[in-house]
Amino acid sequence: MSVWRYEWRLLLRARIPVTGLLLLTALTVVSLASGVQRIESQREAIARIAPLQAADTAAVAARHGDSTDAGQAAYYAFHPTWNPPSALSFAAVGMRDVAPFMLRVRALGLEAQIHDGDVFNPELALAGRFDFAFLLTFLFPVFVIVLFHDLRSNETESGRERMLRSLPTSASRIYLRRATVRIIALLACITLPFAVAALLQGVAIEKIAAVLGLSTAYLLFWVGVSLLVAKRGWSSATNAATLAASWVAIALVLPALAHVVIERAIPVNQGAEIARAQREAVNRAWDIPREDTMRRFYARYPQWSDSAPLGTAFHYKWYLAFHQNGDDEVAPMAADYRAGIERRSEAASTLGWLLPPVGMQAALTRLAETDMQAHLAYQDDIRAYHAELRHYYYPFLFHDKPFHQADYARAPKFEPR
Amino acid sequence: MSALLAVMRNELRAMLRHRTALAGIALLAMLATVATVVSLHHMNSAAEYRARQQAAAQAAFEAQPDRHPHRVVHYGHFVYRLPSALAAFDAGVDPFTGSSMFLEGHRQNTANFGDVMQGSILTRFGQLTPAFVLQVLAPLVLVFLGHGVLSHESERGTLRQLMLQGASVRSIVGGKLLALAVVAAVFMLPAFVGLSSMAAAPTTSLGVVGAVMLGYVLYLGVWCVLIALVSAGMKRRRDALLALVALWALSTLLVPRVAPDIAYASQPLPDRLQTEVGIARELRAMGDSHDPNDPYFNRFRQSVLDRHSVERIEELSVNYKGLLAVEGERLTSGLFDKYAARSAAIQHEQNRLVAWFSVLSPSIALRQLSMAAAATDLSAHLRFLDQAEAHRYRMVQQLNQLQADGVSYADDTARDAGADQRKRVDHSHWQDIPRFTFESRTGTAQLKAMLPGFLALLAWLMVALAALEWRSRRLEVAR
Repeated sequence: MSVWRYEWRLLLRARIPVTGLLLLTALTVVSLASGVQRIESQREAIARIAPLQAADTAAVAARHGDSTDAGQAAYYAFHPTWNPPSALSFAAVGMRDVAPFMLRVRALGLEAQIHDGDVFNPELALAGRFDFAFLLTFLFPVFVIVLFHDLRSNETESGRERMLRSLPTSASRIYLRRATVRIIALLACITLPFAVAALLQGVAIEKIAAVLGLSTAYLLFWVGVSLLVAKRGWSSATNAATLAASWVAIALVLPALAHVVIERAIPVNQGAEIARAQREAVNRAWDIPREDTMRRFYARYPQWSDSAPLGTAFHYKWYLAFHQNGDDEVAPMAADYRAGIERRSEAASTLGWLLPPVGMQAALTRLAETDMQAHLAYQDDIRAYHAELRHYYYPFLFHDKPFHQADYARAPKFEPR
Repeated sequence: MSALLAVMRNELRAMLRHRTALAGIALLAMLATVATVVSLHHMNSAAEYRARQQAAAQAAFEAQPDRHPHRVVHYGHFVYRLPSALAAFDAGVDPFTGSSMFLEGHRQNTANFGDVMQGSILTRFGQLTPAFVLQVLAPLVLVFLGHGVLSHESERGTLRQLMLQGASVRSIVGGKLLALAVVAAVFMLPAFVGLSSMAAAPTTSLGVVGAVMLGYVLYLGVWCVLIALVSAGMKRRRDALLALVALWALSTLLVPRVAPDIAYASQPLPDRLQTEVGIARELRAMGDSHDPNDPYFNRFRQSVLDRHSVERIEELSVNYKGLLAVEGERLTSGLFDKYAARSAAIQHEQNRLVAWFSVLSPSIALRQLSMAAAATDLSAHLRFLDQAEAHRYRMVQQLNQLQADGVSYADDTARDAGADQRKRVDHSHWQDIPRFTFESRTGTAQLKAMLPGFLALLAWLMVALAALEWRSRRLEVAR
């Protein structure tokens, strides 16, 4: 027992390791606070939706007046959707700083709406967030290097190695003990503040455990690299330089190179092509016989085909039908686009098995539901909600049911998962 | 002088003899070359792709059949942002901002489909551009190569020997510094060759290219001096290395992330929902053109009737509905501009706040300078949004005017079976709509935007040199 205490005392008496550990703790706390601040601001923005939207909807309804045309409502009324942050998202902000997490949709063509982004300052986004995921992935290994590069070389350089070897306990056991002490110290510095923040944010215990497990595995990877280097018996300075160089290669250079390769290997047609194709399809409706539009719509949605034939006057059921035809026409393109993005994301996640920093980011953003997959899932929710919305207006339009002001409030509400 | 050169030559020879040092130099120079080639290729294909899309959008617009002008207002137009000539050197915000925008009446859309929204998380690990290599990796390799230039000598006690041989401390320190500078120059060379080839584009200002090169020279110069300084200040080589790696992580990774988070938190930017709802509210307060008793639009109608000296809108020689559309667009666009200007002001304010962190990290100064030179900064993006909006307004108003002049009020309000055909105007009008061309900032304006970064880097260099000078004197005293 006392040997362990000595080992701790030895660690806590050295200037560089103690400074490093204190700095690491401070940075962890700052990164957690920064992530919490970012996510809180997003929660506030989501909380603002209801009052803002209530005033907007009330104004649209008031303008509706005594009209009974549901088309006006379908055309003018916006319906909010949002993607609430998960409890863990403060730890890995992921894509949430660039991907829109609030989107208002109308019952018109969705492909022209769903790709809209929110306002953000691109220079601030470019730098990336200082969140727990960044700290863990990029900065944590530096501290591992500081504490492990001279695990053995320090003894060699101070001439104690021989003496240690002459002791009855084997030297490797001493190094093992020393490594264990340092691993515990490093882990404590980041996991204790994280656990406190996660509990305060109401993160489920399994997720906290998963993050702790990932952190430990990641730490062990870097310790393993350090021990491999230490085995060569170089000087402390050479060890430190070798470790830092491998860190830069694994965390910065190789991911950047892999990015180029993946973008090349998996081409994704720009989404703007979908938007353009949809626009052509929608606007063509004004130049073709209106019955053609209705026929195509009824072929896909036969439940409305019993609707009265179109007269010469403008009718919103035709307007909504050609918007939907436009969406349906580009659906294969949209599916391709999405599949391409998914393939790129999967390729990056697979690469994570080779490059632990990439794997860490992928795993953390997955746990926090802040990755591309989560954004695509939000888009799926929007699509489902949009379909619900259209089918709310369709009976009014296709069966000429009068739509009154009170019907605005009856429109389906978006419910996030 | 000769002592200084001799020290430099010796230091370089030592590095070339050292296998790992040589490998480091070769690897980084290679990486800089690869980054230049890959980035050039990537930007060229992006430029080609976007130009092709722009041409296709233009062809589709002009190929429209006879249509009611208001249909064309809603058909709208697509504009694409072509990458700037130097975007291959520093991609800046290009992967984060949408590269295309849909322009239509009554609505201001966002620029959509940025790379970050159609790629993997790797986009967030950084782009392999020459700028990334020089900003982030080059200083670190210099640290690896240079942390021992003086600490190694003091560790082994050879510094005193050198001095005994008659070399002054200044020439020893100066020579070592020069050796580091030579290595830095090797790193910069491939990127600068790439830059020069990009400068061949007719829109590029040579002054800007020269200035951005100077910016990088200053930046890596600061690093060389800092390395010599820390190396002179530390007794052990290992301590010098750890201190320098910590300094590097702080100034190239940590501060550049913490500063934007602080700017984000202290200068909140209204989101799109707030903006849209705000604009809708202000519009309602102005008036409702559909309401026959609306005071604003009644006044507008009266002024039109007075101007044409007629009693009823049916008697006007122009189509009142077209005039109403012109007036409506004028009102909404005024609000769009007002809200966009407010958002732009906040974003610039955020960036100014980030710029203050140059005091802590020279790489922030360099990043802003480099993006301004490559026209891949926030200003360039906002410029695109501004010009796209101006183009949208011009196009929509031209079409609204066409409705006023080319479609009669009687036809426009008719609801009989043949009315739809009578409302349409000839398709030759679509070719009269001017094309969108992006006007980039002048070279002088770019240089002006780069100035704060220059001053910050110059200040860093001065302070670091002064500290090195002070430190060298201490070394002399220590003798």
